[in-house]
Amino acid sequence: MRLAADPEIEEFRAEFAAFLDANLPTAEEAVPRAKSSADVPPWAREWQRKLFDAGWLVPGNPPEYGGRNASLPQLLAHAEELSRRRIYHSFNPQGVGIIAASILSFGTEEQKQRWAAPILRADITAALGMSEPGAGSDLAGLRTRAALEGDHFVVNGQKVWTSGAHDADVLLTFVRTDPTAPKHKGISVLLIPTDTEGVVRRPFGSIAHPDDFDFNEVFFTDVRVPKENLIGPLNEGWKVANGSLGHERTLLWLSYAERLEDLIRDAACDEEWYATLLMDFQALKLLGYRQLGADRNPAEVSVLKLFGSEAVQNATLRALEAHGTESLLHPASTAAHFHMNMEVFSSSWFERYARSFGGTIAGGTSEIQRNIIAERILGLPR
Amino acid sequence: MEFEFDEDQRMLQRLVRETVAKSRALPEEQLWSTYLELGWLEAPPVELAIILEELGYAADPTPFLATATWFAPLAGRLPNGSGTAVFDGVGEFVLDADRADEIALLTADGVVVREGAEVRAERVAVFDPTIHVARVEQSELVAGVPELALMGLAISTVGSCRRILDLVVAHVKQRQQFGVAIGSFQAVKHKAADMYVAIERARALALYSALTIAEDAPERARAAAMAKAAAGECQRLCFQSGFQLFGAMGYTWENELQIHLKRAKAGDLLLGTAAVHRKALLV
Ligand SMILES: Cc1cc2nc3c(=O)[nH]c(=O)nc-3n(C[C@H](O)[C@H](O)[C@H](O)COP(=O)(O)OP(=O)(O)OC[C@H]3O[C@@H](n4cnc5c(N)ncnc54)[C@H](O)[C@@H]3O)c2cc1C
Repeated sequence: MRLAADPEIEEFRAEFAAFLDANLPTAEEAVPRAKSSADVPPWAREWQRKLFDAGWLVPGNPPEYGGRNASLPQLLAHAEELSRRRIYHSFNPQGVGIIAASILSFGTEEQKQRWAAPILRADITAALGMSEPGAGSDLAGLRTRAALEGDHFVVNGQKVWTSGAHDADVLLTFVRTDPTAPKHKGISVLLIPTDTEGVVRRPFGSIAHPDDFDFNEVFFTDVRVPKENLIGPLNEGWKVANGSLGHERTLLWLSYAERLEDLIRDAACDEEWYATLLMDFQALKLLGYRQLGADRNPAEVSVLKLFGSEAVQNATLRALEAHGTESLLHPASTAAHFHMNMEVFSSSWFERYARSFGGTIAGGTSEIQRNIIAERILGLPR
Repeated sequence: MEFEFDEDQRMLQRLVRETVAKSRALPEEQLWSTYLELGWLEAPPVELAIILEELGYAADPTPFLATATWFAPLAGRLPNGSGTAVFDGVGEFVLDADRADEIALLTADGVVVREGAEVRAERVAVFDPTIHVARVEQSELVAGVPELALMGLAISTVGSCRRILDLVVAHVKQRQQFGVAIGSFQAVKHKAADMYVAIERARALALYSALTIAEDAPERARAAAMAKAAAGECQRLCFQSGFQLFGAMGYTWENELQIHLKRAKAGDLLLGTAAVHRKALLV
């Protein structure tokens, strides 16, 4: 245990900070703002590419995938520097953080070059097609069917909640390839370009506004997907799913640390609840640092996901209540203007609170995380 | 920063766990001499936290906590024998003051160390029969609680909470109702999971406090307040859910759960509850 910063990390941090100072887009350059989690305006693509080329996009990756083989503590320093400035390395976070990461973990060399690199360079954007109308928490119950016919899979079925799908070029799609096998054993993963014939995307509004489009229904009707778009072995998609969810939960807890830091600044006061916010932020970061240890139980990520999302939700609710009737105002601004921030994170307290439920629902609900902690950490019977 | 134990610290943790498990049945004096022999009283803050967490887990009956985290930081040395300190400005509920060999007093003239026998200290009866707390009669006391004392109580309380959770997990795996282990009911699982998360949070903040004391960091006062507050919040949940999940068994004297419930609650009530330390964070 050591409090003092590791010189190697601080050097890394200083180098990244200098890069940001020299290269950050100005407020004039950073228009228009992104409208969905796969809508990356030209300036934001350029920004992401700059990070990629300099090895600052996902520092843990090798240089050919936008990194510099950085260590895990260096990755946290990277995330902290971004969070402190309220800026994003990518406006297609699930593309970079989940989909490219899953392809790099499970794809072939060719797939990495063909799909992961362009997603990381913001040449294309990606969305995550896991959930279905009948398969939310019970992801393994998914029914979208893919049948191998010659050198193509033929896909039929439906996804829902697919964030950013209407703006995405490709979908990482979880499909059932063996309907006779037990439900965890018949799943495979396909990369499906959204311009393939038979793919129909229908965006729909969020709780914040009827035109706030991020959610999508995606329909697949006799969609032909080349066999080489299979990520990982046939019928072993459950492994990929767990890998993707691991990436997702890591991405998520880091984003909760970011939200808590936002709240510490935006809701600063001397009311009693504010102490919880300060403590939660500190504890989440400490637990995150500890999770870097090599011998951690992977299920511990659920602690970070559950604790972080609920801490954000509690603090946002307290901030909402602290502002009384004024919190009804919408649209409203609850933070200074940060041109590299997503507008939703400085919107009205009411909207911020409503959006905090994204944290406790997406990526496995809080109840599911509690099940995981009870069963896989405490060993209680299923 | 690095928030993992290093190899030596992990070894210490293993040693403490083994020692504590082996010596559970030993009389108090023998426990005390074991701790002395192993040099535990001299441990620096992080190592002390490792030891205290396990002593909390075991509901240690000796005056180790008061000696290491009350007396030592105030007197600036270890006592001859056991020790405690009065630093609350009033002399109420002083841990082990009725049995300490030396007592450090924080007075308007600075720290004064006296022989235990010379200080009038009267043990008070409390709901937790395993701890010693006493009222000390002394004038001109001033308040100034050392961070080490807050950290010590915090991490001991975390140890008690871990013990409560372990007892609960063992119980709900084994106790059957409706033909199944009650641990398979989700209402039970979710309570246990929440206890686990609260313990992780409080433990992280307590260890962080130890680390800031070890490195004399500027945030040491805030870190100690966070540690004490988080430990208090943690025991609140663990007391409530731990007791509830044991059913009527938890309501009995024979069940060892009661010992740890009481220790955990006392850990919050001594030196300021969670609410008190939360306020300290807001200034
Ligand atoms: C903002 C947002 C963005 C999203 N983006 C995507 C995306 O990009 N791609 C994608 O594939 N999906 C996405 N999702 C979907 C998300 O993964 C699902 O919402 C989530 O898995 C829960 O499924 P559900 O909504 O069907 O709820 P349900 O599974 O129907 O759950 C409803 C309630 O029942 C509880 N429940 C269900 N099962 C259990 C159980 N076993 N034990 C205890 N309680 C249980 C849940 O905890 C919840 O409280 C997104 C969701 C949100 C909110």
